[in-house]
Amino acid sequence: MSGLGQWTLGARRSIRHLAADPSPDSDATLSDGSRVAVIGGGPAGSFFAYFLLRLAHTIDLDISVDIYEPRHFTHCGPAGCNHCGGIVSESLVQMLATEGINLPPSVVQRGIYSYVLHMDAGSVEIESPVEEQRIAAIYRGNGPRTAVDMPWESFDGYLQQICEKEGAQLVHQLVVGLERNGDFPVVITNEGTTTYDLVAVACGVNSNFHMLLDGSTSEGKPEVSRTFITEFKLGADAILETLGDSMHVFLLDIPRLEFAALIPKGDYVTLAMLGEEIDDDLVRRFLDSPEVRAAFPADSIPAVCACAPVINVKGPERPFGERVVLVGDAGITRLYKDGIGAAYRTGKAAAETAIVHGISTDDFETHYFPTCRAIANDNMFGRLIFFFTIAVRKSKFVRKAVLRMTAGEQRRPKGRHMSGVLWNMFTGSAPYRDVFFNALRPGFLLGLAKSLAAGVRPPQKES
Amino acid sequence: MTYMPSRRRGELGKIFNDGEVIVQQGDVGEQMFVVQAGKVEVVLESKDTQERVSVLESRDFFGEMALFDKELRSATVRALGEARVLTIDKRTLLKRISEDPLLAYNLLRAMSSRVRDLNNQVSAGRNRTP
Amino acid sequence: MQPASPEVMANTGMPKYRPRQAEKAAPCEAGCASGSDVRTWIGLVAQRDRTGLDREQAYTRAWHTITDANPFPSVLGRICPHPCEFGCNRSENDGAVAINALERFLGDWAIEEGLGLDVVDAEPKPETMGVIGAGPSGLSFAYQMARRGYSVTVYERRPMAGGMLRYGVPDYRLPPEVLSAEIDRISALGVEIRTNTTIGVDISVEDLRSAHDILYLGIGAQQPRMLGIPGEDGPGVFTGTDYLSRVNDGQIVEVGARVIVVGGGNTAVDAARVARRSGAEVALVYRRTRTEMPAIPAEVDEALAEGITLELLTGPVEVLRTDGNVTGLRAQRMRLAEAGPDGRLRPEPEPGAVFEIAADTVIAAVSQQPDWTALDGLDIREGWVATSDFGGMGGAMWAGGDVRGLDIAGSAITHGRRAAENVHAKLRGMPPPESRRSTPIEADRVNFDFKESRPPVHPPHLAVEDALRNPTAEPTATITEEEFLAEIGRCFSCGLCMGCQQCWMYCTAMSFTKVLNPQPGIYYTLSLEECEECGKCIEVCPCGYLEVI
Repeated sequence: MSGLGQWTLGARRSIRHLAADPSPDSDATLSDGSRVAVIGGGPAGSFFAYFLLRLAHTIDLDISVDIYEPRHFTHCGPAGCNHCGGIVSESLVQMLATEGINLPPSVVQRGIYSYVLHMDAGSVEIESPVEEQRIAAIYRGNGPRTAVDMPWESFDGYLQQICEKEGAQLVHQLVVGLERNGDFPVVITNEGTTTYDLVAVACGVNSNFHMLLDGSTSEGKPEVSRTFITEFKLGADAILETLGDSMHVFLLDIPRLEFAALIPKGDYVTLAMLGEEIDDDLVRRFLDSPEVRAAFPADSIPAVCACAPVINVKGPERPFGERVVLVGDAGITRLYKDGIGAAYRTGKAAAETAIVHGISTDDFETHYFPTCRAIANDNMFGRLIFFFTIAVRKSKFVRKAVLRMTAGEQRRPKGRHMSGVLWNMFTGSAPYRDVFFNALRPGFLLGLAKSLAAGVRPPQKES
Repeated sequence: MTYMPSRRRGELGKIFNDGEVIVQQGDVGEQMFVVQAGKVEVVLESKDTQERVSVLESRDFFGEMALFDKELRSATVRALGEARVLTIDKRTLLKRISEDPLLAYNLLRAMSSRVRDLNNQVSAGRNRTP
Repeated sequence: MQPASPEVMANTGMPKYRPRQAEKAAPCEAGCASGSDVRTWIGLVAQRDRTGLDREQAYTRAWHTITDANPFPSVLGRICPHPCEFGCNRSENDGAVAINALERFLGDWAIEEGLGLDVVDAEPKPETMGVIGAGPSGLSFAYQMARRGYSVTVYERRPMAGGMLRYGVPDYRLPPEVLSAEIDRISALGVEIRTNTTIGVDISVEDLRSAHDILYLGIGAQQPRMLGIPGEDGPGVFTGTDYLSRVNDGQIVEVGARVIVVGGGNTAVDAARVARRSGAEVALVYRRTRTEMPAIPAEVDEALAEGITLELLTGPVEVLRTDGNVTGLRAQRMRLAEAGPDGRLRPEPEPGAVFEIAADTVIAAVSQQPDWTALDGLDIREGWVATSDFGGMGGAMWAGGDVRGLDIAGSAITHGRRAAENVHAKLRGMPPPESRRSTPIEADRVNFDFKESRPPVHPPHLAVEDALRNPTAEPTATITEEEFLAEIGRCFSCGLCMGCQQCWMYCTAMSFTKVLNPQPGIYYTLSLEECEECGKCIEVCPCGYLEVI
C-alpha cells in the first residue's frame, strides 16, 4: 500500500505538513465570516457542527459550516450505513435531552428497558435502574439492505437535520484530500478545492480518509479492531416474543469470541460480535450455541446484511493541529463501547474550544486535548474490565457466581452491586473508571465472594 | 420477557396519562425531567387551591431546582393529556457538568427565563395573598 | 439502487457480496449514431484532474476520441438529433447530459485551435479509393481510408463538398464555414475532392473502375418525391430539398407571402423555417400528429416559436391554382387508425372533412430517393442500394449513407467508417473488425445521489425577432467553456469507473489499490483476498461498474 494517495493528491496536494505547526505562536480565532468545514457527516461531525453553530449564535458570531458527507442516510444497506451496533447509551440519551435534543420515535427503533445476560450457566435479566426506556436502539444509516419504505429515520440523518436547522450546509461530496495554503486548511473534493478557517476531521475509522492524512503527521491512524455486524429480519411482533425490549448479551466460552450482543430494533435484530478473526465458522458456532438458540431462533430467519466494520481502540497521539481538529473515532473513542457518546464529548469539546478559546494548536492542546486524554485514560480501566469478562467467560465457576449474585439482586430493590456493574458495563452508561471502582466496593466483593462460596457448597433444594 | 404496556417501541422515557402526577410538591427530589412529547402542567398547591404556573412542552425541563438545593419539590407537575417524560439522573448530570461546564448554560438560560416570567407575572399585579 | 442478490452461503446463511469490476456499455455510446465513444471523451475531460491532464490536453484527447469515429464534431454538434441523449440514465432524473452541446463546444474549440485529424497508419498503401459523392458518408469513408495510408479521390458533382450538409441543411443550423473547416481537415490528410465532376458526364464509370481498386458509393438520396396530387406540376410548387439547396446556393427564391410546407421530417421543418426567414407566413401540413413527426422535437419547438403554424392530421388533396398561379391547398382532415405494417399509426381520411388553405407557394418535403441519373454504367437497378451490414455490395463496390435508406448524418458517417474498416481489413488480410455493442447499463444501477441534482445546460437562444431578421444567424449559441465544464461534470460514466474514490475510501479491508498511471476507467485494481463481502463498495459505486460476483 505504499505510495497511495500520491497520484490523486500529487506532491502539491500532500497533507504532509498538516500537523506541523506553521505558526506556533498563532492566536487564530474564528470571527464573523469565518468558514468551517467538517469532513464526515456521522455523529462526531454533526455534534461538532451543531454545538459550534449553537455556541456561535449564543455569542452572536456569524460563521458558516459545511459538512462534507457523500453518502445519503436515506439509503438502506451499507451505502447509507455507518456500521455499528446502534446503541445510544443511557447517559447519552439523558445528556442529549438536557442539550435539547430529544430523539424522536422515528429515530429510536426501540427503547431498551433491560439487559439480559446469557451464559452457559443460565440467563439473568438486569432491569433499568429507573423504570423507563432510557437506552435507544437506533440505525445509524437507514437500516439493513432489504429495508425499503420503512417508517424510520437514520440517527446520523437526524443529527444532520438538526445541524441544518442551526444553519449548517450539507455538501454531498467525497473529500479526497486536505492540504494547507499557508496556515489555512484546504478541502479537496472531486469537484474542486475550498479554503477554510477551520477543518474538523470526523471521518471515523471506517473510511480510509486517514490514509490521505500522510502517515508522517502526528495524527496518524487510529488503532482499530474488527467487529462483525449482521442484521436479521424478524418482524416487530416476533421480536417482542423472543427478545422483548431487551438487549441480549452473551458471554460464551467459544474460542476467538470475546463478546456478542443481540440488539432488537424495529423489525430487525442486530447481531454485533467482537473477537479475533470473526469468520463464517465462528458466526455459525455462535448462532448454533444452545444459549443463543434458546433466545433467538436464527435458523429460520434470513440474515439480510452483514459487514465487518473496524472499531477504534486507541486514538492518534495528538488529534489536532493548527486550525485542524480530529473528533469522534478519528480522534479518540471509548474502548469497544459508546462510540456515539465519545463523538458527542469530543465533538462538543472541540466546538467549545474553537468558539470560546481559539483554533490554534495551543488552544486545542490546552482545552480540547484533556477531553481526549480523559477518554484514553478511562479506556485503561476498560481494558482491565475486559480482562474480568474474559475471566468470567473462561470460568464456568465464576459465571455461575455472577449469575447467582445478579439474580439474587434483581429480586430486591437495594444493594444491586453486580447488577449495577454489569448494567454500566454493557450499557456503556458510566465511565469504565466508575465501573471499575464500583466493582471494588465492599458490597460488590462481599456479594461476589458469597456467590462464589455458594458455588462450592452442595446444591440446595430451593434455587 | 418483561413488557410493560405503558412503554411503546421507539419512545424513550416513561408515558404518563392525563392528570397523572410526575412530581409531587413537597416530595424529596433527586432527579430532573425533560418533556419528550405532549404537555405537562406545573401546579402550585396550597391548602385548598391549585394554581397552574406554567405549561411545559417537548424539550422543556423541570425539577432542575433539585440539582441545586436540597429543598423539597416546590410544585406539582402533572401530565396534561398524555405526556412522555425522560428522567435525568442528578449524578450523571453533575458529573457531565463538571467535564463540560457549558452544559449548565442551558439550564441557567431556562431558569433565568423562568425568573423573568415570574417577574412579569408579579409586576402584572397578579396579587396573591401570602 | 439494489445490486442483484448474491449466492447465499449455505453453511452460514450470511449474505455474501463479493465485488468485481465489470465494464458495461453506456447508453450514450449505444445510442450514438456516429459511433463515438461518448463516455470516454467525456471522461477524458471530466476526470482530467485524476489522470493528470491539463485542460488543453484533455480537450485535445477528447476531440481526437470523437474524431476517431466522426470527423465532423462541430457539424453534428449542431445538427444531430442526438439519440445519444435519449438513453442517458440521467434523463429520467434531472435531464440528460447535453452531449450534443458538449460535442459542439469541443468541435468549435478544435477549429479555433487548428487541430488536425489523427493518422492511424502513415505507411502508404498501394490501393486507391474512389468515392462518389462528397456527403457525410463519402467523406467519412475517405477520411478513414486516408488516415490508414490509402490515396483517396472523391468525385462531387456540385461546386462544393458537403452533400446534404452543404445543400440540404439551412445555414442558420449549420454555418457553411464550420462545415468547410471540418472538410478542410479531411483534405489536409491528402484526400482529393474533385468538385463539379459528374459521373457519366465529366468522367466515365469505366475510368473510375480502372483508376481505383475500390469504389464507394455515397450519392445520398437527392431525388425528391412529389406529392402525387393534381396541380403540383408548375410554378409555385417546390420540393423541400430543391428549395433548400437553391437557398443555400445563394439564389433568391420568391415564395410569396403565404407558404405551405407538406411533411413532418427535418427537411420539412428546415424548409418551413427558411421560408419563414424570407418573411412569409408558413404553415406546416402533416398527416399525423405532433408525436409522430420524425423531425427533431427541439427544431419543431423553435419553428413554432418563430411563428410557424402546424396543420396536423391534414393530408394534401390538390394544389389549387388560378391562372396557373398557386392560390392554396385543398386538404383532407385525417384521423389515426391502428398501426400499419411499419408500426406507425396509419392516417386515414375523415369522410367529408375537406377544406382549403390559402397559399402562394407549396413546398413538398415528404421524401427523397437516390438519383441514379448518369450512373447507368454502375449497373444498379433503381431504388435503394442493398448491401451487407458494413456496406459491401459485392466485389470492389461499397456504399453508405442515404443511398441505403434515409437516415441521419451520424448514420451516414458510421456507414463510411464501417465500410472503411472492413475494406482495410480485407485488403490487408486481417480479420474483419468486431462490433462491440452490448446491452447498455440501466438507470437503476447508477447511484444518482453521488452528484447533486442539476438540470442540463441551456444554451443561450437568439430572440425570435433577431433570428428572423438575420436569416443565417444561428438561433442557438455554442456553450461557454464554463458551461461546458459544468455540464461535463454531470456525467456519471455509466458502467465504467470514473475514479471517484468511494470504493477505496470505504473498503475497510483495503481491497482496492490505486494504479500508478490512471486512465479514464482504470483507477483501481481489486484483490479479494481480504474482502469481507459486505458489498459496501458495490452500493457506493456511482457508475454501476462494481457488481456482485
